[in-house]
Amino acid sequence: MKRIFFALSTLILLAAAAVPAFAHHSFAAAYDMQQPITLHGTIDQVLLRNPHSWFMLDVKNEKGETEKWAFEAGTPSGMIRNGYTPQIIKHGAEVTIKGFRARDASQKRGMLRELTTADGKTFGLFGPQENKQ
Amino acid sequence: MKPAIVALLFACALGAQTKSDVPRTADGHPDLSGVWWGGADVGGRPAGGGRGAGAPAGRGGGRGPAPVTFSSLYTDAAKAHAKTLSDKDDPTLTCTPTAFGTLNVSMWDVGAVGQIVQTPKFVIFLAETYHGWQIVPFDGRPHRDTVPPSNRGEAVGKWDGDTFVVDKTNFNDQTWISAEGRVSYHSDALHVIERYRRIDKDTLEIEATVEDPKVLTKPWIVPKQTLKLAPFDQIMPLDCNSSDVKELIDAAAALPKN
Repeated sequence: MKRIFFALSTLILLAAAAVPAFAHHSFAAAYDMQQPITLHGTIDQVLLRNPHSWFMLDVKNEKGETEKWAFEAGTPSGMIRNGYTPQIIKHGAEVTIKGFRARDASQKRGMLRELTTADGKTFGLFGPQENKQ
Repeated sequence: MKPAIVALLFACALGAQTKSDVPRTADGHPDLSGVWWGGADVGGRPAGGGRGAGAPAGRGGGRGPAPVTFSSLYTDAAKAHAKTLSDKDDPTLTCTPTAFGTLNVSMWDVGAVGQIVQTPKFVIFLAETYHGWQIVPFDGRPHRDTVPPSNRGEAVGKWDGDTFVVDKTNFNDQTWISAEGRVSYHSDALHVIERYRRIDKDTLEIEATVEDPKVLTKPWIVPKQTLKLAPFDQIMPLDCNSSDVKELIDAAAALPKN
């Protein structure tokens, strides 16, 4: 029974991820949906505010230097009512972020699609879904 | 007993139950108070019964004919002006509210959740995302001529039976009807009439007509919205900072016009 429940839950989550949640401003203009990016680092700052939230991430590069990345996410109300709480991720928390890179490759910036905490919890559907690509 | 009579009695009983299910204030009017959403917030899925934030009425999902929107009714001159605007000009990027509502629900403004507080004299609409509010008196007073034009307009209300009718005028021309880069500018002749009806304890129906003779060929009949009572009784405080989206605006500015 547990397996069936898990399988159904997974299917529901996958279906949800496939549905554009809320068409937002031209994220496709700023972010390249053909350039997925996955980064592991520690949270420097979380800004839960409108029009969009931000997750600031410290990432070690190949030289061992710390690079500061910024990931743009959705409206805080949507995030919070879909499972996220402000207490979950604080300064220094180790996370992995999946998203899409800024079209301007000189910027260390991206659109957040999914965030996974060190204990394996994944929070998805953060990203304002762009339907005007 | 004949089946037809049984069905009729059942229907009557159901109707009576629905009517009595509507909360009422001391003056006998339906109480519209509550937090209202489509069954989910942005990014979520409806919990049941409601129309989810991901599938609002009036927003095309790629199937069937395109819904009639405010901007689809533009005059030729308005269409020409709209072509000079784009995503970068969307006032909501700078934390300015819409004149109506992104998901065709004015009480939500930008976002997918709103709250109504009803008193003996006013119905107060509170929008969450940009902290907008509208105080709507229903004691028969006319529109004020002492207030300046504003983003959300000036409103008066009245009860038409169990339906609360809101009349909004005196808008400025600095906002758009909706957001997310959908060019939907309007003029200062904007006039919004809304009809709110709580059809049972958990359901609020809203119909609206939006007039703007300076830019529309005919009034926009907004698709009827059916909202559900949210399982929480308080919207949340949220800040807005437009400097966060400078890069987004810059990127949008680089896009070709419509």
